[in-house]
Parts: sequence; C-alpha cells; structure tokens
Amino acid sequence: MEITLTHYLVLAAALFLTGMTGFIIRRNAIVMLMCVELMLCSVNIVFAAFSRVHGDAGGHVFVLMNFAVAAAEAAIGLALLVEIFRRRRTVNVDDLKALME
Amino acid sequence: MEGFLFWFLGILMFLGGVMMVSQRSAVISAVWLVFTFICAAGIFALLNAPFLAVMQILVYAGAIMVLFLFVIMMLQGPVLDGDRKLLKKSYWPGIAIAPVAVVVMIVRWVSAEGLRPLGDAPAAGFGSAHHVATLLLGRYLLAFELISIVLLVAIIGALVIGKGERKLPWK
Repeated sequence: MEITLTHYLVLAAALFLTGMTGFIIRRNAIVMLMCVELMLCSVNIVFAAFSRVHGDAGGHVFVLMNFAVAAAEAAIGLALLVEIFRRRRTVNVDDLKALME
Repeated sequence: MEGFLFWFLGILMFLGGVMMVSQRSAVISAVWLVFTFICAAGIFALLNAPFLAVMQILVYAGAIMVLFLFVIMMLQGPVLDGDRKLLKKSYWPGIAIAPVAVVVMIVRWVSAEGLRPLGDAPAAGFGSAHHVATLLLGRYLLAFELISIVLLVAIIGALVIGKGERKLPWK
C-alpha cells in the first residue's frame, strides 16, 4: 500500500496524543516539559508532510522556527524548575499548589 | 521500500513515545525521548527534508536533550526517583475522552475524504540546506530576524531566573 499524506497526519496525531496524555498524567515537572517537546515534534512532522505535498519548502522554515521556540522553551522552563527546586526541594507538581489554594 | 521505512520508523517512534510517558524514572524517560527524536529524523528524511533531519538530530536529540539530562542529573534526589504516583486513577476515564474523540474524528475523516496522496516526488535538491537557506534568508528574512530576538530574550530570561540570590556581574 502506498504511503499517503494521511498516514503521516495520523502518525503525528498519535504522537501528539501520547505527549498530551503524558503531560496530564505525569507529576514530575521535568517529564511534563519533555512531553511538551514531544507534542512540538509531532507538529513538525505535519509541517514537513504538507511541505512535501505542496512542493514548497516554506514549511521547513516553520519547522526551523519551531526548533528555536522549543530551545527557548526548554531553557526558560528548566531555569524556572531549577529555581523552584532550590526553594521548595521538589519538582513534583502535586507539591506545588501555592497558586491553587 | 518507502512503505516499509514509514511503518518501521512510525511504529518505533510511537512505541518510544509511549515508553517515555510510561517510565517512572525521569532519566529513562529522557533516553526514550532521544530515541523518539532520532526516529523523527528518519521520518523527516522520508519526507524529502534532509536538512531538517540533520537539524533534528543536532538541535533536538543533541542540544535540547543534553540540557534536560543535565538538569535531571544536577537536581538528582526526588527528580531521579521520578513520580511517586501518577495522576489519580479516578481521573483517567476523563483523560481517555480526548484520544477516543480524535480516533473517531480520524476514522470519519478518512472514510469521507479517502486517503490524500503525497503527489509526485519533488525536484532534486528540495529541502536541501541550500534550498531552505534561500527561503530563510529571502522570503522569510523578517521571521528569521525576529526569532533571534526570541532566542535573545530566552537567554536573558534564563540568566535572570537562574541567577538565584547572587548579583549579576554587571550590577
């Protein structure tokens, strides 16, 4: 069977859902950040697939922008987590409820 | 051959994602995520995007995941232990609604529209470093300049947040 655009879209949807489920069920803030990276990666596959269909490499440029955003997000997120760990000695989101109460 | 590679990489990638989510230890999760990203690089190569495949390995599997592993190793203790427990089991049916909804949506979409083909193979050189660079420094020059501001803000933000109680050298 020929591989079509739909195959790539379904693969990306499956990865996005995996990342989303992980983001919700995991309690470790670092692992939650990694799940966000997985979701970003699945979006990149959609960009690359549509780029291939339209024969226009503009989507590749968007993926490169996504790389930069992912790097910025990881840097800021991890800096915040290190600071939180310094003050609270934990990165478990169940213990970080100061804004909830 | 393309079909075999797609199924091989796609299934490995999905399994890597599931393993990442289901492993209790943060370090093992990170290693599975690297595995998933390397499979994603293979998928990019299949989609005639060789430059993206290389950048995926360099930036994602290399730089970003090293940063994650570095922080996990640095914090140690409670982070290395991973999750004491996952979200309460009683919430899980609510979480399962989203995947079920998406599967139903995909099935209905495919049955209505059919499979959309990828079309003819693009011209030689499509997605090469030269091709992407021509676009990046031409049509998308403004976005290219703006993303450098995003990165600059991220660097300064990380520096200010991470400095703790100490003073910065220029103060």
